[in-house]
Amino acid sequence: MLETLGAKTIEDLADMGRFGRFAWRSIVASGWSIARVTTYPLIWAQMNIIGVHSVPVVMITGAFVGMILAVMAYDQLAGMGLEEHLGVLINVSVVKELGPVLTAVMLAGRVGGALTAELGTMNVTEQIDAVRSMGTDPVRYLAVPRLLACLLLTPILIIYADLLGVLGGYFIGVIQFGINNQAYWKFSAYGVDLWDVAVGVIKGFFFGTAIAIISCYKGFTCKEGAEGVGQACTEAFVASFISILALDFGLAVIFKAIYNTFWPLKSLVG
Amino acid sequence: MVKAEDNKGTAEGNGNGVIVVKNLTKRFGNNIVLDNITLSIEKGKTTVVIGPSGCGKTVLIKNFIVLLRPNSGEIYFKDKRIDNLPDRELNKVRTHYGFLFQGGALFDSFNVAENIMFPITQHSRITDWRQAEDIVNAKLAMVGLDGFQNYYPAKLSGGQRKRVALARAIALNPEVILYDEPTTGLDPIRADIINELILKLQRELGVTTVVVTHDMTSAYKIADRIIMLHNGKIIADGDAEHIRNHPHPQVQQFINGQASEDDLAVLRASSDIAKAQFLPRDFEE
Ligand SMILES: Nc1ncnc2c1ncn2[C@@H]1O[C@H](COP(=O)(O)OP(=O)(O)OP(=O)(O)O)[C@@H](O)[C@H]1O
Ligand SMILES: [Mg+2]
Repeated sequence: MLETLGAKTIEDLADMGRFGRFAWRSIVASGWSIARVTTYPLIWAQMNIIGVHSVPVVMITGAFVGMILAVMAYDQLAGMGLEEHLGVLINVSVVKELGPVLTAVMLAGRVGGALTAELGTMNVTEQIDAVRSMGTDPVRYLAVPRLLACLLLTPILIIYADLLGVLGGYFIGVIQFGINNQAYWKFSAYGVDLWDVAVGVIKGFFFGTAIAIISCYKGFTCKEGAEGVGQACTEAFVASFISILALDFGLAVIFKAIYNTFWPLKSLVG
Repeated sequence: MVKAEDNKGTAEGNGNGVIVVKNLTKRFGNNIVLDNITLSIEKGKTTVVIGPSGCGKTVLIKNFIVLLRPNSGEIYFKDKRIDNLPDRELNKVRTHYGFLFQGGALFDSFNVAENIMFPITQHSRITDWRQAEDIVNAKLAMVGLDGFQNYYPAKLSGGQRKRVALARAIALNPEVILYDEPTTGLDPIRADIINELILKLQRELGVTTVVVTHDMTSAYKIADRIIMLHNGKIIADGDAEHIRNHPHPQVQQFINGQASEDDLAVLRASSDIAKAQFLPRDFEE
């Protein structure tokens, strides 16, 4: 019992080590790739596959988030006579937290799942070994374009989600519940500044990187057979999901520290 | 590599050996697949590896190109030790090899032409698209598949896939080609054409060739040397004549395609059970 537990711990630690090495190698190789124009077509192809079809789902996600927040928050605010502040509440939440996180979760399912399944199948049918046998580094050829595509696209998709979230909130707040249009936007503009939007978008770079590295790693180390591929996809999603939340927490702490350092300056200037 | 020459494995250093393997052991968990194998693959010759299914032939040639790393022992390519090289260095070495996977391992998101184009675009200095295309067409014609350029692997038969994979393996005119069962799944005539192709590459371009096969007709036709693996060891090693007259019973059974009494005993013992199991099926109720 203790032995199996020990063996499992050692196996888990070894797996963490391998993941760390893989992550490091992909990031280094990404830097190398960016410096070489010849790799751009590969990245572009992945961006098409990953990005284009994600736009509608991400927009739908964003719109619903905005609308749900509006419906939920309206009664409470109206009870205090503060319904004109609805915009601030919705827009800050959407732009800073819910937009980025839900977009990332959406992408972890949609894009991460597809990446793991594709690379996992390539692994079990020896296609990754084939790349290797022809003297090409599979990390550079397969993982890096996917990583860079995710890294670049997640922030863009987050902006889409943000836009639709804001519109969704506006639709419910102003058009459905009849909040004064001008007041709604005035308070929103007052409460949401560029910093909030930037925080959300910067989170996207981290989320995209995490999703891509985890999904590629799970694909590359996928076990034999259809079952192996299925299992890899599940594990990739769970790991991505947890990482998104953990990163979100970590980044929130860091951004708060940065904001607190610079806010006094900003208020002095402004 | 002075050190390699001191090694006892091969008396005259690595001599003529393009690929030299010394005391190679490979195991998966407790399953010892290759047990202390020492072997030298000679330059410009065709070496055929035979042996029963599951005896480790594929594992052996994957070690030659370090797709699998040995648990112990050394592997040399042209006097350079490669089993302990980092991936980046290995990739350079691997461009000298062509490797035909047993299952083909074609990229299924690429069509046939793109599959064969892959090593060319990755490693050759050819930048002229037209020229690269000519190479692809020539290689496809060699395996009898000209006209299939735009097919995707999923739309090809097993034998066709194997031949596309073969065309891809030889795309860069490698010095060493490792074929894992090149004729399995092909009709006898096509198999013979592939045998001729292997011979042609070896004779005209001096390619060092290693072929893993079960097909004795093919083995006798192309081999300069035949090696038989059994239980992780080399049990026979010599030219076709040597193998034909080899005294080892396992070798004789293998080349004549005869199961031993022991193997058959299992089947005989189970035949009664098999009969007993010929039961009415569900739909007969
Ligand atoms: N990646 C792996 N993990 C675990 N065991 C493996 C792996 N690859 C091969 N083996 C084991 O090594 C042994 C030899 O396999 P190998 O594929 O080399 O056989 P083979 O001689 O090529 O057989 P065949 O003629 O059927 O292709 C088998 O027992 C197999 O279970
Ligand atoms: Mg095999």
